Amino acid sequence: MTKKAARVKTPDNILMALQEAQARSGPLTPEVMAGLAASLGVPSNDVYGVASFYSFLSIRPLGRNVIRVCQSLPCHLKEGQAVIDAIRKALGVGPGRTTEDSRFTFELVNCIGLCDGAPAMLINHDVHTDLTPGKIAGILQKYK
Amino acid sequence: MGNISLTLNGTPVSAPQGMTILEVARENGIDIPTMCYLKDLAPVGACRLCVVEVEGSRTLVGSCHTPVTPGMVIQTHSPKVLEVRRVLIELMMASHPDTCIVCEAANCCELRLRATDLEVGMPRFRTRMHYFPVEDENPSIIRDMSKCILCRRCVAACDNIEGKKMFSLAYRGFETKVIYDLDKPIGSNETCRDCKTCITLCPTGALRLPMKFGQEKKGPVLYVKG
Repeated sequence: MTKKAARVKTPDNILMALQEAQARSGPLTPEVMAGLAASLGVPSNDVYGVASFYSFLSIRPLGRNVIRVCQSLPCHLKEGQAVIDAIRKALGVGPGRTTEDSRFTFELVNCIGLCDGAPAMLINHDVHTDLTPGKIAGILQKYK
Repeated sequence: MGNISLTLNGTPVSAPQGMTILEVARENGIDIPTMCYLKDLAPVGACRLCVVEVEGSRTLVGSCHTPVTPGMVIQTHSPKVLEVRRVLIELMMASHPDTCIVCEAANCCELRLRATDLEVGMPRFRTRMHYFPVEDENPSIIRDMSKCILCRRCVAACDNIEGKKMFSLAYRGFETKVIYDLDKPIGSNETCRDCKTCITLCPTGALRLPMKFGQEKKGPVLYVKG
């Protein structure tokens, strides 16, 4: 779908509209979602349903850097859980949380299409593949 | 539309084209258990309880949304089908709180009824249960999402029958939940009409009428076998 089509306010465009809203003004607040619902002509519960389903749409405030670790099967089989545990230890917060200094938000996501380099994660838009617990500290250092 | 012939549990039957397997089975007096299916509404196919074995099909098919085709050979109660249905009920029971003894819906609970019919005992699976606070502020509905088995009946009913769409599904996987507004509890002055449609349709005690102590319970009494 093109950018132009996204501007057409129809219920089918709910996902595009949410993406646009997030790109424009950051994580989706209840006010933003309620406004979108009114302009698209869909119930606000539907907007919330879509926003909460997708990992790349956020309904909570995020930290400066967002860590998205894959939790799908190929990564899991390649010791993905050890990587998740290592990140949890390094940050001091579990998945779904933001560190107190707002430096990192730690999230578990479903397949990010990097199975050839499993276990994999994204930090912001940077790809990190073939992770081991030992590599975590070095990678996290690069993000302030 | 002409009639087509097919085989249902070894008996040849004929049915009009476009009918689903479930409709044909019910017309022929075969009881396929269902949970999410609502007559006259578009099938959702969420609960999978109505699965049947179709010869030549790689997997079991949901009978509520599969139309019959000429020459279809269907088994509605084969050992394989029954085993799958038992596991499905077991999975629903595993994440459902074990509070039947104090539940308002205990004597008219469809989940319990199905479990009894299929002779499902204690679930083998240990899973983390979801606990949500009971939403009892609204004068026309009490919602206890801990008891919800995600059959989506209330979502479909509110959308199709009442045309309101008060409920949606949110989150993902094990976290999936039927939400109201932006995942808020239904407050005292919300726009929910006093139609009781979703309450009547809820198979468990997740949705119920605000009721005072001593008031008569509605619904047939469930006799538990053995």
